[in-house]
Amino acid sequence: MKTVRYIFLLLSFFVALSCRKEVNIKLDTAYEGQLFIESILYPGEVPKVYLSISQPFFNEEVTPQEMFARGAQVSLFNGTETELLRPDSTFDKFRCRWVPFYRGGLLAEHGKTYGLTVTYAGKTYTAATTISQSKVNIDDIEYTAEFFDVYGGHDGVILRFVDAPGERNFYRFQMDRFLDTSRHHAHILEVIENDCTNGEKFWITDLGRTIFRDENSDGQEMELNAEVSFEYLRGDTAYIFLQSLDENSAAFFEDIDNQLQSILNPFVEPVFLKSTIEGTIGVFGSAVRSDTVLFVYPQDNP
Amino acid sequence: MRIALFLFILLPWAGFSQNYTISGTLTDATTGEALIGANVFVISLQKGTTTNNYGFYSLTLPQTDSLGIAFTYVGYTAQFKKAYFRQNIKLDVELIPGVGLLDEVVVSGIRHDENVSHPQMGVVDIPTEKIKELPAILGEVDVLKIVQLLPGVQSGNEGTTGFFVRGGNADQNLVQLDEAIVYNPNHLFGLFSTFNTRAINNVTLIKGGFPAQYGGRLSSILDISMKEGNNKRVGVEGGIGLVTSQLTVEGPLKKEKASFILSGRRTYFDWMIKPFLSSRIQTNYSFYDLNAKVNWQLGPKDRLFLSGFQGQDDATYIEDGIEYNVMFGNSTGTLRWNHIFGQKLFLNTSFIVNEYSQNISALQDNAFSQVVSGIKDVNGKLEFQYYPNPGHSILFGVHYLDHTFRSSGKSEAQSGSDPSPGIDKNAIPVKYFDEYALYINDEIKVSQRISASLGIRMPGFYSDEVSYFKIEPRASARLTLGPTSSVKAAYTVMNQFLHLVPSSTASVPTEIWIPSTELTRPQLSTQYSLGYFKNFQDNQYEASLEVYYKDMDNQVLFKEGNQLIETLDVDPLLTYGKGWSYGAEFFLRKNIGKLSGWVSYTLSWTNQKFEELNFGNTFPFRYDRRHNLAVVGTYQLGERWSLSGTFVFSSGNVYTVPVGRIGVFHGGSLFEGNYFVYEERNNVRMNPYHRLDLSASYKKESRILGKNYTSEWVFGVYNTYSRLNPYFVFFEVEPRTGKPKAQQVSLLPIIPSITFNFKF
Repeated sequence: MKTVRYIFLLLSFFVALSCRKEVNIKLDTAYEGQLFIESILYPGEVPKVYLSISQPFFNEEVTPQEMFARGAQVSLFNGTETELLRPDSTFDKFRCRWVPFYRGGLLAEHGKTYGLTVTYAGKTYTAATTISQSKVNIDDIEYTAEFFDVYGGHDGVILRFVDAPGERNFYRFQMDRFLDTSRHHAHILEVIENDCTNGEKFWITDLGRTIFRDENSDGQEMELNAEVSFEYLRGDTAYIFLQSLDENSAAFFEDIDNQLQSILNPFVEPVFLKSTIEGTIGVFGSAVRSDTVLFVYPQDNP
Repeated sequence: MRIALFLFILLPWAGFSQNYTISGTLTDATTGEALIGANVFVISLQKGTTTNNYGFYSLTLPQTDSLGIAFTYVGYTAQFKKAYFRQNIKLDVELIPGVGLLDEVVVSGIRHDENVSHPQMGVVDIPTEKIKELPAILGEVDVLKIVQLLPGVQSGNEGTTGFFVRGGNADQNLVQLDEAIVYNPNHLFGLFSTFNTRAINNVTLIKGGFPAQYGGRLSSILDISMKEGNNKRVGVEGGIGLVTSQLTVEGPLKKEKASFILSGRRTYFDWMIKPFLSSRIQTNYSFYDLNAKVNWQLGPKDRLFLSGFQGQDDATYIEDGIEYNVMFGNSTGTLRWNHIFGQKLFLNTSFIVNEYSQNISALQDNAFSQVVSGIKDVNGKLEFQYYPNPGHSILFGVHYLDHTFRSSGKSEAQSGSDPSPGIDKNAIPVKYFDEYALYINDEIKVSQRISASLGIRMPGFYSDEVSYFKIEPRASARLTLGPTSSVKAAYTVMNQFLHLVPSSTASVPTEIWIPSTELTRPQLSTQYSLGYFKNFQDNQYEASLEVYYKDMDNQVLFKEGNQLIETLDVDPLLTYGKGWSYGAEFFLRKNIGKLSGWVSYTLSWTNQKFEELNFGNTFPFRYDRRHNLAVVGTYQLGERWSLSGTFVFSSGNVYTVPVGRIGVFHGGSLFEGNYFVYEERNNVRMNPYHRLDLSASYKKESRILGKNYTSEWVFGVYNTYSRLNPYFVFFEVEPRTGKPKAQQVSLLPIIPSITFNFKF
């Protein structure tokens, strides 16, 4: 997969030799923003539904607050009762911004089927998910100074676990830890202007991009290599989970992951996001977390 | 089907008992080169034929005391011969280059009108003499660049010689040199093709109405014949340009019995750019071509040809811990034996070996990667041409092709200063596949007004995993509307057992060919075409208007989010669909006179539909271009100066642009960010492509040491008004605002060139 590297080199060679100019692209029709729904239910946690309006591609980037779909009616039906979700928000100290969403009060439960109804701008969107996937615990975690995936070489962790037999499973990595701004983000920090942490530590969740399927490994021991997002020093601690996603959510986040590759690499076919919600873009699904494992970094990041 | 077979068998023997046959070869009087597609015409009977790829002709006619025959070929003085015709005659004729007085005498009596009279359609012949007159790019006239100027043919991106015919992908063109397949006919970045014009005799492009002897690709056949070598005297010719130089030597091994030609070309781009590079950059780029051919006239009925070609590109770029190497090349070898049984049956037997290999490696940040792949084919062909009577010829044969594929990739971290050992070429996994085909094609003049070419080809494919057998009917017919116009129609079914793993760039040679498998089924096309053909002013002007519709099944693209990989087992990454193309092609050509050239215009639509792409909706093919215009002209300005120019215009390529962006916030740091909303694949068209190339040549003939010597200066300008044509478009995000901006990259601005050619 390192083909990408020399393709980039050849591309750079071309760009160096060639002429470059900015061009205006006129899209055929004026783009009308679409509602984007993003919600993953976790057993034992209150539901959160992120609703935003997509922006025209060539517009300036806007904050989550500006994108937020205000005035939507969001309800969740758990088989016995319907709960109306209310607008709420959290403050992301690291990026110095508010992230709004709709929040419920009833904890999601394993084994239940949930129906989501969103009414916005005169249109109603519905979706359903059942939290039925097995909880799969981590057997072993190992630090690795270098492994390779489609994005190149990384440092990270290797999770080992035994796949839940008899069902199609989709796994991803989660790491929670306290950070301060001395631990730089691998990709993002250079474009973040403000620091709202006031030198204090903040809590951050790091989700693995890659979805691991149990195809040809049903019931067998599996290994998951995950890149970590933030710098670390020897002795830093983190809490690691294994998430088991439902199939729809796995497909959506796989598309997201693949799309990033296609954005970064012009030689990769573009990825169209497929919605799991009729009439709009988005995902409504569920994930079951493993028990937490405390991980201590054995060395500084390379 | 039974009736057609019956006709095939019966028609050749249908009573011509009082007839005799005149046969022979047409050659160039100065070099002995075979003249391909030359005309042999009996004026009194208004019957004639054309020479085959070896210059052979055969005409069976009623006996007569005096038979008048005209022999003509574009760019040569016609000859008129009379013969007592009450026995079989063998008549070899040599034509003198240049248009002479005799030509003017006989030209009015003969019909030089294959454009109108021949039943085949979608065929364009370009003799070498014509190619040489066309504008040079960087001092080199390039065959593939010329082919891109023909109707129904589109170029790829700027700086590439890849071409796309009637909506087909680049892999759907069979490019063959002396019957050997050339898998990658481009040099690096596609500025030149691998074909050295000085070593070429004839180029034929077939894009529709394929005769049955051609197969294996869906969209076109580019059939290139190498020169045989001058069998009368030793000649040397060469050219010294800014980027390349070449030298060709030819001559008799045994006068008028055996000859040879040896032609070589090399670039010195690597030497030229060295002084301009900083000391921390080490770069090297070179390519070379070598063509060689010998032929022996073993006897009056036997001839042997041995030809070979080798071309290689080698590029290295080293800078600050970065090192990449690109090496690829083609080699071919063809051994052919011609035998004439009696005077009506011509046999060609060919044994061909061709190989394509590439080796690309990169080292960056101590990460080493390498891709090695290749194809080797061993072919055997047996082909008969039978000429029972004028207006009737039957061609039949068998072709067997053994493919050996190899492909391997490596990707590893390189520790310390130890260089990676790279891929062990002897350990590369190899796969074997075989193709075969039986074919028969009957070209018959049914009446004065109607002629037809009917054929059937039965190709097959087998490997360890899967086998396929196909039947391909071929038919084309011509209805004469008057002395200067006709209507033609053609129906063709083609199969293709090989696929080129699609790469979104045509110029980077990371192309991997894969065979058909159970999942990747053979590509299949069905093409219908209809055309109106008209000649003007004693056939000085040829015009045609063709319309076509082509269906293509089992088309292959990468699934979303996938890209080139390093092994043959790519089936899981591919998705399958169909394509279809339709359009109209206008062609006006003038071959004779001080001003010659052509105008071609194509209006076409090409779409594809894949269940797993574009939400299952139809989308335009990447090279769907609505308009394609080419104007090519050469003007002979006196005896020494000639001017030529080419203007091309085409609609821009389509590509995929997102229409919106969404912000993904859900809890995960790596997911956070803006993602793209696509509504339609290939929804935006790049700016149109247009370019004007001009060249002027000054030719002078003189004598040195008692020998004739010709020198020529060629001055050329590529992209005269320095149009910044789009090569590709990428998006750059403004860091403060996050606003994406589209950046267009253009490759080749105005490029002047000067070349000195000599010949003695």
